[in-house]
Amino acid sequence: MTRLELELLDGEVAAADGPFSSGEPLPRRLPRGRHGIPPNLVLEHQRLRLIAAMAEALAEHGYAGVTTTHVGELAGVSSSTFYKHFGNLWDCLLAAYVYTADRLCEQIEAAVEGREPEADPLSAGIDAALAFLAARPELGQLLGAPPPLEASAVVAARRILISKLASMLRRARGQGEVGDRPTGLDERMIDATLAFLHSRIRAGDAARLPELGPELAAILDRARRPVA
Amino acid sequence: MRPEARAAAREALPVETTAPTPDATVREGEMEGALQVVGELGYRSASVRAVLEYSGGHRRQFYEHFESLEDCFAQAYETWIERLGVELLQAAASTPGWQSAVQAGLVGLFRFVAERPRIARSLFVEAQVAGGTAMAKREEALERLAAALDSVRNEIADDEAPPQSAGVFVIGGIEACVCEILAEGSEKRIWDSLPELMHLAVGSYLGPEAAEEAFEEAKSLLERDRVQLGGEAK
Repeated sequence: MTRLELELLDGEVAAADGPFSSGEPLPRRLPRGRHGIPPNLVLEHQRLRLIAAMAEALAEHGYAGVTTTHVGELAGVSSSTFYKHFGNLWDCLLAAYVYTADRLCEQIEAAVEGREPEADPLSAGIDAALAFLAARPELGQLLGAPPPLEASAVVAARRILISKLASMLRRARGQGEVGDRPTGLDERMIDATLAFLHSRIRAGDAARLPELGPELAAILDRARRPVA
Repeated sequence: MRPEARAAAREALPVETTAPTPDATVREGEMEGALQVVGELGYRSASVRAVLEYSGGHRRQFYEHFESLEDCFAQAYETWIERLGVELLQAAASTPGWQSAVQAGLVGLFRFVAERPRIARSLFVEAQVAGGTAMAKREEALERLAAALDSVRNEIADDEAPPQSAGVFVIGGIEACVCEILAEGSEKRIWDSLPELMHLAVGSYLGPEAAEEAFEEAKSLLERDRVQLGGEAK
């Protein structure tokens, strides 16, 4: 993840060059006129704002009510700017889904890599995922809710995320890429995990997600096939 | 399934005391139409006109029955999710043994999905898109099914008790699997996930050995009865 991306997710962005290079946070809406920020950075900044706004707008209005206007307003861009970046609402949703899924996987991988040698990798990964979703519950809703008919491409993106997380689960258990388990079992466990966390977020319990770590680790560990 | 869970399922069965009036039949048709249309077009694209094209009623009559399409969908959802929940609990209740009862419930669910994919899509996917009052009913239905699964706890020793959230976890996993298959439009292939979901359900409560047994049993069922169950061969 780039510095720009990290800071955008924290709600503040600092430009690499130009008037904000001293470390001043970049406002959510860039200044009009001559500001000295390179055009490619402006475009990337707009795109990332739209991606972040998509998850927020979805959490606020739900799939039934969310529109490109909601997303554009939250991102601080005009309708025409929205359509410069995305063909329609569902393209933006797909970009937001992929972006968020990648961030989640990165957080888990970093936590597993950086854990203490004696620490359990499964617990480290679960704790990282729970912290990520507790801090940004709208991202948990984005990843957990089934997409509407119009957003069929998100179904494929979801399958990729499930597959990546299942692979991480197998590695955390020391089972290698596939292990001796029939394919699909770990994917179902991950499906169930995302649904479980989504239901907690929807019930307004996002802040308490980190407390679920031991419970989730116990469930994910219970049905595993012993390594031959 | 335990006797008390079986009794609860029986009590929940709707009792028809009188024949439906023509008006009730029209209303029922409009509700089914709403589910069919939402399942085909998606919640955001559905309209009263499309519902009436399906059900064959009149706009005036529709608005005598419902305040809006949203109201019609919410009422249809409540009616059908209740029926489906009762049907699944009944299928489980009439099957002896917890593991076999779970499998019977899943087979009932898969039959419904394979035979009525549009309505299933409305109930499982688009209802979550719609949000609103349907969500409270959904939570209620999921909790009831999770409680039925949890009935096996009484047969498990305290030191081997499954995690507290096992029921909600398993039901959520089953629902997510159904949503994925419906979203892909490959509902006939839902049968392929029977062994995996049996592994998930049984393993979450009884551990790996029982999960393996349930997995193999479900595979054998599919090999034996695939055509009868209505799914496509893998």
